[in-house]
Amino acid sequence: MTQGHRLAALRTLWIVAILAFLYIPIISVVLASLANTRYMRFPHRIWTVDAYRDALGSFTTWQLHTISLSIALSVVLISTLLGTLGAVAFARYDWRGRGWFQRLLVLPIFFPQPVLGLALLLSFTAIGISPSWKTAVVAHLVWIVPIVTLVISVRFFGYDVAQEEAAYDLGASNLQVFREVTMPQIWPGVFSGILFGFLLSWSNLPLSVFTSGPDTPLPVWLFTRTATNYSPLVPSVAVIGTVVSAMIVIGAALLLWASSRLRSPAR
Amino acid sequence: MRARRSPGPWFAAPVALFMLACFAAPIFIVTWFSLMPARSFDLTTAFTAENYVTAFTEGYARPLMWSLIGAAITTTVCAVLAWPSAVILHRHAGNWATVVAALIALPIFISESVRLFGMSVFMMPRGGILAGTLNALFGLQIGSILNTWSAALVGMIYVHLPFMLFPLLLGVSLIPADRIEAARDLGANRWQVFREVELPLAAPGLTIGALLTFVLCIGANAEAAILGGRAVTVITTAIEQRFSFAQDWPMGAALTVLVIAITAAIVLPVLARLDLNRLTRR
Repeated sequence: MTQGHRLAALRTLWIVAILAFLYIPIISVVLASLANTRYMRFPHRIWTVDAYRDALGSFTTWQLHTISLSIALSVVLISTLLGTLGAVAFARYDWRGRGWFQRLLVLPIFFPQPVLGLALLLSFTAIGISPSWKTAVVAHLVWIVPIVTLVISVRFFGYDVAQEEAAYDLGASNLQVFREVTMPQIWPGVFSGILFGFLLSWSNLPLSVFTSGPDTPLPVWLFTRTATNYSPLVPSVAVIGTVVSAMIVIGAALLLWASSRLRSPAR
Repeated sequence: MRARRSPGPWFAAPVALFMLACFAAPIFIVTWFSLMPARSFDLTTAFTAENYVTAFTEGYARPLMWSLIGAAITTTVCAVLAWPSAVILHRHAGNWATVVAALIALPIFISESVRLFGMSVFMMPRGGILAGTLNALFGLQIGSILNTWSAALVGMIYVHLPFMLFPLLLGVSLIPADRIEAARDLGANRWQVFREVELPLAAPGLTIGALLTFVLCIGANAEAAILGGRAVTVITTAIEQRFSFAQDWPMGAALTVLVIAITAAIVLPVLARLDLNRLTRR
């Protein structure tokens, strides 16, 4: 019995250690942002939120967020559209060549992202497109479309095709079947796809760093400022950027919850 | 009744076209560039293999080795850390499993640059979070591994651990509990159960996790830049330098093609054997 207890304690300890490993750096960023000195001297003599006030008052912060948001929203829009269609092909229908489609589609996920970024940078420049936030959108899409497709595909397994047949028999058009039968069933998957697309684009560094050109998204700015020109502004912007993305996701989830609450009692 | 042709290809077409234009075509262009004479900026048909010869004779094998060794070490350590975690989460955590899994997944959605920056302020000597706390609480003075290759490796393990853990969790959940019982009843010890029963049954998950971790690590450059203090030059950094400072696109392209070729040699054979339907359906 005591040996069982000790084993259980060891297991808990192991999980706690893993979580500590994952969260210590994140906590460290928050701690570092609460200083007002040019150089890190922990523990801080004065704990202050001055850096946050500076960050919120600075034009750069707003510009970084605008660029990151433009990229992420474009990525969400296009990847959800392509991903939903792709998922139908991936999981709904059985067709010749599906096996190939499935394998080729996951290739970009199993591809070193910075190398993809560099390859795209060279290609864009070679065909005369100068890098900007729009090229970063394309780069993000190459990696995020397959992920969104997979996320939505999972919803299709266990999907009952007979419902579509029934709708057709009752005289529904293709569009009606998609809107009234298919979409409501895969909607949770599509919604997860939207969240995945947004968060992965918002936080992406390795693709943006090579493809965004003069438009600097948040992660790229943090990356360059970490290496050179450090100040407490850097961790405070990091915290603000992370909180903003969390708030957008929570807001979207609440909106979804509220809209389903509004609709369900009526039906 | 006439069998209708499946509309599958029509739904696949937009994604397929996009991938052709933005994934396949760039790889093609980079390959073409890698066959151009050094320092040229145009695509012609005067093909040459000189860049590949230079790649092996002028010291580019070193960054490539750093990246590959780093990827191998990271994958191994991640697997060793993730296996017990996955087993505990699946078999022993009960109601907590979902919470812990969510906590492990969450950092994936926080930017790499934020987390690596946090790791660097944690590791910083003297005024860093760890060194500063130890000094203030216990008067302990400690050194730091920041700006070494080890620090970069810790960062890589830190960033990629979730990518190993989740596929492995899937793999471990494929092991039926009664198989282990049966093996125990037949007299197998812990090690034998692990090697003969658990490992083969969890292999699909382990394979995907290892593949993902290894491939993501081959290109990893932020860890070496933020934590490694450029103590080592990884292959991505070497390529970037060719593209920017040296203005030698064909050389950079040749190195890119080498990395892609290595990646393909590792990924394609594994992916060809994996049944994606079986795994996602679960």
